[in-house]
Amino acid sequence: MKILIDGIEIEAQPGETILEATRRTGIHIPTLCYHEAFGGQGSCRFCMVEVTKNGSSRVVASCTYPVNDGIEVKTSTPQIDKIRRNIAMLLYKRAPNSLFMQTLYKEYLCTENNLVEDPYEKCILCRLCVNACAAMGASAISTVMRGTDKRVATPYDDASAACIGCAACAEVCPTGCIEVQEDNNIRRIWNRDFTMVACEECGKNFATREQLAYIADRSKQEADADELRLCTNCRRKVLARKLETFNG
Amino acid sequence: MDKILVVQPEKCTGCRTCELVCSYTHTGEINPARARISVFSFERVGFSTPVVCQQCTSAACMAVCPVGAISRDNNGAMVVNHDRCLRCKMCAIACPLGATLYDYVEDKMVKCDLCGGDPACVKLCPSGAISYQDANAANFTKRKDYAARFKDVYEEVG
Repeated sequence: MKILIDGIEIEAQPGETILEATRRTGIHIPTLCYHEAFGGQGSCRFCMVEVTKNGSSRVVASCTYPVNDGIEVKTSTPQIDKIRRNIAMLLYKRAPNSLFMQTLYKEYLCTENNLVEDPYEKCILCRLCVNACAAMGASAISTVMRGTDKRVATPYDDASAACIGCAACAEVCPTGCIEVQEDNNIRRIWNRDFTMVACEECGKNFATREQLAYIADRSKQEADADELRLCTNCRRKVLARKLETFNG
Repeated sequence: MDKILVVQPEKCTGCRTCELVCSYTHTGEINPARARISVFSFERVGFSTPVVCQQCTSAACMAVCPVGAISRDNNGAMVVNHDRCLRCKMCAIACPLGATLYDYVEDKMVKCDLCGGDPACVKLCPSGAISYQDANAANFTKRKDYAARFKDVYEEVG
């Protein structure tokens, strides 16, 4: 089917969202809670676009709105820009401590107002961490509470038995609000302490025991396989050295 | 998959040209630390070998990826979809060869992608230790031979 995006006609596939179709054309729609691995959540509303069909127009979240024949999409209008500016302002007021939101606040030329800020907050509740954890198969974290108390946490903020300490949540977090502390051989994340496995060759802590169990399970390797006892760099080195021994 | 990357350690001179050309091709800078291929030399016995992704048939990196960001392309190379990747680094920990790496500069997982079907290291390897050959029985045997050595190595230490 044909759809019109900012005056450019493109071919879209049924089932595709406006965002996916638009990204293919190279036109940029800003997003916060969208990640290609999880698809659209429609929660941040930052990707709002104006859709016109049969003469009537409406504002929709492009990450969840499926394309349909004959729609005309505008990705930037004064109304859309205002919506984005408001979201940037509100999220900044919620999480002023994150560099990410500070940058966005300036980028969208938000104006100062007297909304109360929480100076320590960094989370914008995009739920990417929750999705990442679910993708890992752990689902150790989720959003808890409702309304202004809403936040991401493990059940009752306890150390979660399901967590494998992979820190995928922290990696995917756009604002860097998930704390991962590594001290000697202990990795502390989500109120749980993980004992790190040290590389047998160089002694560098390279993974948690739970991560290695996850890998052994998924890749059908032996949990105590030789390669899983070495860090990435030493794996190559040791391999080459053993080859040498073998050749000699 | 028409062609495969064949590594023959007995031909390697340890010149590290492959590391340089790999990092230059992929990152635009001459920096062996950012190369997808590593050479290890043992001067005492005069032995060198490149270690590079073997594009495994049942690839551990692909198996452990939680979001399916690693897939096989038309050239038979396992490639990373950086938009889909979470940077959880499970693939790097899972790779038995240690050939999937994290690039701190660009914040992404990197590995040999066979340069889209025209490996730069092969073109510049002066001794022919790395070659890109037709995926026929003879060349598969060469690669199996290389793999078998690894296997023996592991059995030896295991």
